Amino acid sequence: MRAAILAGIIALALGGCASQVASIRRVPDETPAADNAAAAANAAAFAEAAAAESGNDSAHEAEAHKAQEAAPLLTPADAPPMYTYDPWERLNRFTYRFNARFDEAIFLPAADTYRRAPRPIRAGIHNFFGNLAEIDSIINYTLQWRLKYGLRSLERLAINSTIGIGGLFDVATKLKLPGTPTGFATTLAKWGMHPGPYLVIPLLGPSTLRDGVGYLADYGAGYGINVANLYRGNISWGLLVFNGVDQRANINFRYYSGGSPFEYETIRFLYVRRRLIEDEGLHTKEPAKKAADEIPAGK
Amino acid sequence: MTISTRLKLIPFALILTAATAFAAQPGETSPPQTVSRSAPISESAPVSGSAIGLSDSAGLRATVFGTPPEDMATLPAKVPLSEINIELPWRLPVPGILWFDSKLRVWLSAQNKPAPLAVVISGTGSDGNTKTISVLRAALYGAGYHVLTMPSPTFPGFIVSASHTGVPGDLMQDGADLYAAMQAIIAHLPRKVRVTDIDVLGYSLGGANAAIVKSIDATEQKLKIHRVVMINPPVSLFSSVGRLDRLFAATIGPGDRAVDLLYRRLYAQIANLYRASDRLELDENFLYSAAAVTLKTDAEFSAAIAMTFRLQLVDMFFIGDLYAKTGVITDPAHPPRVGDSLEDIQRDLRAKPFADYFTRVFAPYYLMRRPDATSASLIAANRLDIIADTLRDDGDYYAQTNSNEVIINRRELTWLQDTLGSRIVVYDHGGHLGEVGDRQQVADMLDMLSGHWPRSAP
Repeated sequence: MRAAILAGIIALALGGCASQVASIRRVPDETPAADNAAAAANAAAFAEAAAAESGNDSAHEAEAHKAQEAAPLLTPADAPPMYTYDPWERLNRFTYRFNARFDEAIFLPAADTYRRAPRPIRAGIHNFFGNLAEIDSIINYTLQWRLKYGLRSLERLAINSTIGIGGLFDVATKLKLPGTPTGFATTLAKWGMHPGPYLVIPLLGPSTLRDGVGYLADYGAGYGINVANLYRGNISWGLLVFNGVDQRANINFRYYSGGSPFEYETIRFLYVRRRLIEDEGLHTKEPAKKAADEIPAGK
Repeated sequence: MTISTRLKLIPFALILTAATAFAAQPGETSPPQTVSRSAPISESAPVSGSAIGLSDSAGLRATVFGTPPEDMATLPAKVPLSEINIELPWRLPVPGILWFDSKLRVWLSAQNKPAPLAVVISGTGSDGNTKTISVLRAALYGAGYHVLTMPSPTFPGFIVSASHTGVPGDLMQDGADLYAAMQAIIAHLPRKVRVTDIDVLGYSLGGANAAIVKSIDATEQKLKIHRVVMINPPVSLFSSVGRLDRLFAATIGPGDRAVDLLYRRLYAQIANLYRASDRLELDENFLYSAAAVTLKTDAEFSAAIAMTFRLQLVDMFFIGDLYAKTGVITDPAHPPRVGDSLEDIQRDLRAKPFADYFTRVFAPYYLMRRPDATSASLIAANRLDIIADTLRDDGDYYAQTNSNEVIINRRELTWLQDTLGSRIVVYDHGGHLGEVGDRQQVADMLDMLSGHWPRSAP
């Protein structure tokens, strides 16, 4: 039965939407007044931070000097080349196209429907899944030996599971303990593993081999620990779908909205560069490895 | 570990077009020039004048960062939005690799009472749902209009789904494509959307498109378009683009080597900023602040502007060549297929000046189909002065631009002022589109649309 439903969904995704001449689809309302207020607040906060920084220039300089001693600043020559290591390109492109169609036919309509639920309900669902993910974060911060953050995740889990009624309310963030999720992908990076080949994962999207293994390990950890039988019980399948829809509803991305023939290249470029810069952040204490021009990024 | 953290990488591209605060100070509007009949702009080469048009430091900064939030007009709390996907009967066969562009996508914000419809046309290479569109949509919806926003005829999704030629850039042809698409969309609007009047607006290239669409409608009378407002329009597509080519050459350098250097510099800067920060994730907020730190000098602003335009034109170049079968980018006998890597093609295109599109794709295509045409006549046919008499004599055409605009030069600004007379307002700030959404721009735009302009007129 489950397999039949899945096959049906995939057939629908590959077939695309119904082909009528014109279709109209309600999308989430825009909130220009609130957006502008948020932009103004952001700008004010940034200006304040910039002013504070220029206020204690010498302290900042000393700090920068210290950081420089730990790891010399990157120069343009250290930047990885614009080429990306993608030996599985044909398969990846096929998966990317499948993901785009699946998104358009299934994922996005589901997320749009979900977005119509009242905000407090959606927030509750989002917080619930976020709280479950704290367990993974605790494990991984420990493995990364970043115990300060691990402790914060532990506190968050304790507070939100109790006062936050099983994770439905994010009380910890209000107590100045913001969530900073991590996972095995970052742990592998911290341990010095290279990203490896670019990999487009069905349904999930852009990744690398290393990150893909990391996500699998995240799921495995959840499955192994099996909190409250949520991962191996009768409702696990439904929870997984709900988690996916909740994630999708919180991502502001539309496949091919730019109409560009080069979207695959652009996304690959941006994804891998972003991960490489995050890796640089993880290795601040060790000098960066010099990138050789002939080796494509990620290899 | 979530999809969201992995997809938030998209704003990385915004490093070049980032929108934070720190823009030019708002200023007073300069008085409209008096009407005087002038000769049309001379027939010289499409590229002339300064590489940055009329712009100055403040203009470049405003072009990159946009209107500061504190100068924004009061916008409504909530704007309903629907997307319409429409299949147009005259669509050319869709190349396999462009399968996702087969339907035209436009956006509608409808009032729930009878109201005038404002159609907004996007700028070069952009779809109908950009940041600029969003601001204009909010202002227009707040003023009681139904708002329909459309992509530029140079946007890949438009070229594939709605163009009669597949080779964009000809003002008249693009106008005809837009006009046909507009009729089809308006005919398919939900019945509860009751339209009392139709006005058309456009920003950047969309401004010129809007004026042409109204001039076509004046003869065909199918939509009875009432008023047109051009926001920061070019006077000649090819001279504006030529200017941006030269800006690219001057600030980034020629060829892909220069693009590579710019990329390496940005990568190192962002990586160093990220390492120095205590962030655990490279997210949108970090990139916005990184943009503000990274982009500081005129040269950096210019490079960002030039690069942004170049990236917007890469797709149009590729698709135009594919349809025209000119073989500049891809072999017409063996076009790329789904699954083929396009990385080398994209890299080659990044390094190509846009003037190449004119000489190697656009001109050969149209010269073959218009036996009487010459290169010079094609350039001339792409200037707003093909409808100069209409612009001068019909009181329903309006324009807004800036004295430090990037995409036009002094002569072109003077021509606009001479032609439109009191129906153009020239602000002393904003560069290219850096004034869109500020109180004065929005108030003036709404007065123009409702026929209350110029305010001093009886």
